[in-house]
Amino acid sequence: MSYAYFPGCKIPHHLPAYGQAVTALCAALDIGLTPLEFNCCGEPLRHRSFEAWAQSAGRNLALAQQAGLAIMTPCKCCFGSLKHAAYWLRENRELRSLVASTLAEEGLVLPEEPQVLHLLTVLDRDLQPDELAARAGERLCGLRVAAHYGCHALRPGNVTNFDDPLNPSVFERLLRRVGAMPVPWALRLECCGHPLRGKRDKLSLALKARKLIDARDAGAHLLVTACTYCQMQFAQQDENQTSPPLDTAIAQQVTAPEARDTQAQGSPTVDANDDQPGARPWPSAATQLAEDQPQGAMPPAMLAAQLIGLGIGLSPEELGLTELPAPLVHPSSLGHEG
Amino acid sequence: MIWGGMDFFDTGLALSLTALGLGLGAKALSWLRLTIAPGPPPGMAARLSALARSLVRNLAPHRAARWGRALVMDGLLQRRIAGNGVERWLMHLAIFAGFMGLLIMHGLDELTSERWFAGYAPALDPYQWLRNLFGVLTLGGLAVAVWRRRMLPRVRRTTGAQDWALIALLGGIMISGLGLEAAKIISPQVFDSMVEQYLGTDDEAEINDLRLLWSEEYGVIFLMPPPHSDEALAQGREAHEGSCVYCHSRPTSAFVSYPLAKTMAPLGDALNNLRADLLFYYLHVGLCFLGLALLPWGKFMHPLSAPLNLTLRQGRTSSDTGTKPPALAAVLRPLGLDACTHCGACSEHCSVAPAFLALGTPDILPSEKLSSLKRHAAARLRGPALRAFAEGSQICTECLRCTTLCPSGIDLQDLWMQSRTRLRETGPGEPHLVLAQRPLRDWAATFRSLPPARVEAARSVKLCDNRASFWGCIQCTTCTSVCPVVAASQAPARELDLTPQQIMNMLRMGLKEEALGAEMVWSCVTCYKCQENCPQGVRVADVLYELRTLAWARLREHPEAWAETGATAGTGHATGGERSVETGRDAWSAARGDHAARAMSRTADAPTIQPMPSTLAGTQPEPETKGDEA
Repeated sequence: MSYAYFPGCKIPHHLPAYGQAVTALCAALDIGLTPLEFNCCGEPLRHRSFEAWAQSAGRNLALAQQAGLAIMTPCKCCFGSLKHAAYWLRENRELRSLVASTLAEEGLVLPEEPQVLHLLTVLDRDLQPDELAARAGERLCGLRVAAHYGCHALRPGNVTNFDDPLNPSVFERLLRRVGAMPVPWALRLECCGHPLRGKRDKLSLALKARKLIDARDAGAHLLVTACTYCQMQFAQQDENQTSPPLDTAIAQQVTAPEARDTQAQGSPTVDANDDQPGARPWPSAATQLAEDQPQGAMPPAMLAAQLIGLGIGLSPEELGLTELPAPLVHPSSLGHEG
Repeated sequence: MIWGGMDFFDTGLALSLTALGLGLGAKALSWLRLTIAPGPPPGMAARLSALARSLVRNLAPHRAARWGRALVMDGLLQRRIAGNGVERWLMHLAIFAGFMGLLIMHGLDELTSERWFAGYAPALDPYQWLRNLFGVLTLGGLAVAVWRRRMLPRVRRTTGAQDWALIALLGGIMISGLGLEAAKIISPQVFDSMVEQYLGTDDEAEINDLRLLWSEEYGVIFLMPPPHSDEALAQGREAHEGSCVYCHSRPTSAFVSYPLAKTMAPLGDALNNLRADLLFYYLHVGLCFLGLALLPWGKFMHPLSAPLNLTLRQGRTSSDTGTKPPALAAVLRPLGLDACTHCGACSEHCSVAPAFLALGTPDILPSEKLSSLKRHAAARLRGPALRAFAEGSQICTECLRCTTLCPSGIDLQDLWMQSRTRLRETGPGEPHLVLAQRPLRDWAATFRSLPPARVEAARSVKLCDNRASFWGCIQCTTCTSVCPVVAASQAPARELDLTPQQIMNMLRMGLKEEALGAEMVWSCVTCYKCQENCPQGVRVADVLYELRTLAWARLREHPEAWAETGATAGTGHATGGERSVETGRDAWSAARGDHAARAMSRTADAPTIQPMPSTLAGTQPEPETKGDEA
């Protein structure tokens, strides 16, 4: 299966690792990605002008139509924006003719039934369930992960058709296939807080802190995201910003470099009693890691494409994990050779 | 030039060189003074020493190889233009090669050709032929440029007066040059003055024989051409070979100007009487002087600044200026601004170009925003132009595409990110921040006083003004109880003004204006939990989106309602006093304080709306005014 690859605006400069991970993962799984010169999905414009948003999103739908491909995006916000556009352009004739007439000036035509998919759906739908499991082996065995769903793909369910909006399962299903252990946690469907970044920073950080605390308390070693913005939110270290009042000290511990260094040194050394090289460091490493964490430390965030890629044996470098300060991705602790 | 107008030439050259020197000096000074990034700008001395340190470091062989390669590949061979399409590269290379060929071989011939080539004379082949070739190359490239700028919609929309001016100037120089050559070919006056200088005889018969030859084979149009005779022609050729042949090839090799001279022939006498050769000379040389004087300004500077910037960028297409020492980055940024050729490649591929089509603000397109940024950096941007720049700056999604594409290698990504951060300090802020500047009751009064925006009436989807949108609402508070913003708030009633279900209720009652400025509307994270969970199918989150667009549409059409006024620093008062947007930094930090004060003041009367202008009681300063840190 081949898709028109819609990375969205933030990947090239703000989160290039995500682009690298998606490209590497899709290449490894034989999912064809065709780069088209899309424009902004429109999401940031929705606060300013409905028409500018519809114009922007609609043009992307038309570009994919012209190429005869379905859109695949790794960003939940891009996904949601494009699905909303497909919805409103179908529901509202007036809007449709407005957008269509502007697109017609450059020879583009709005599709009747735009095809927009999120990376998770593609991984779930296009791959045989056994395929991921077979390729993954036990690399991620014992790793407890909190799947963060991201709002804009999930809701409103009648617009996005991503999964059951009140009880989704696709993310956990995929993570289980690659051997990780999703934990149940109360706030898994809540907002990461990024939409208020730079707008209401205090609130944005409070939302982020609530989720991290909940994930930690649920026993997660790792928070897993599948959205550019969510990842930016959770990965950002807020040195310059007021930490949420609840957890200032803890948040500082998570982002403190020395804390990470000790973890990184700690994890590879604990796999003493293994007789299957490469596969087993994880259970002990993860346990050790959990024990090594300073009391109350927040789980680091990783992109699903990276975790799944690690699961099927891609190297951290291929997945853009060279710069992420995550102790969990140390090659030796993942049993990755080379 | 050995002929005519010496005073004109010397004076013009001196004047234009002076203008050039002064202009370049001003530019260099501006690189040390202009401010693009937020925070205190590095001083001139700091910038100079950073630049000097960087230059010294870059003399190391491995670094020199890198920038040397960039100079050749990107500057001379223009690899980065090729990245934007082969036809574009061919167009620019034709102009570049033609113009540089003429400049070096012909324009500066006293310094170049006369020293390099033994027996050089302008009217000898191959120089005569090459001049025509270079001229045609340039004109061909310019013709493609004109065609592109007129016929391609995406190029046309960013084409401005300066683009036409440069094309016209170059075209004018080329056409006047060819005209000059043709006018000299047919001119008997030029013939006579050459005879006087070089023939070494004043024997009228001999001159007449030479006239015959030059009339028949060299295209001179005499008022009374000598009668033809083979003998006279042979005599003339003998004289020609004695005196003229060292400097003159037959003009037939001037494959443009000679046919042009032939075409002019019917009007030849008239043109010669008018001294067309002198007119073309003044035009040609005058335009060259004009170009020289304009060289330091606008896109006229790109022949100097673009290669310089490309060399400094050393072939990189990513954004790295922000990682350099602040003083060095402070020099590189304005230098990058000056490297813009206004070719429009960035705007052709801009990710948010559709927003330009919908909103019509030129500054949404990077090529146009860059011009505004130049003026903003020099603190010369005010009023509507400043707001347009802010809008363009805020709408940019920082997708890096323009930076990757820019043929001049400008680190646009860095310019956009820095100037955007600076705008956040100085204002005008983006809608969310503008709306945080005043309490709800102030906004309610403002919105009531403003007529609906034009786009408000024209919009295709109208949820808020349609009471059917809220028909189902039974005020069950589900939306409020699932809202993560409400949950994260310590005291929703005073921090958020209204809860989602209260907003629905107000809209149901037709009190839209009272809700537009509610903090809940502007703190919405757009997670759609409210809408998903509403048992009655009310589009709560869509309505909040729409309220934001409506509020912004009104304020955008009526900037006088917000842009020129702001909160008084530190007091928490929202006043109507005049306040320049240039001092918006104070307004901004005050606004944050105001927000807290406003929240406090509302403990008593929240969340009811009092439709009266406010003088707030609460004057406590905000305990953590974040705006002051930066």
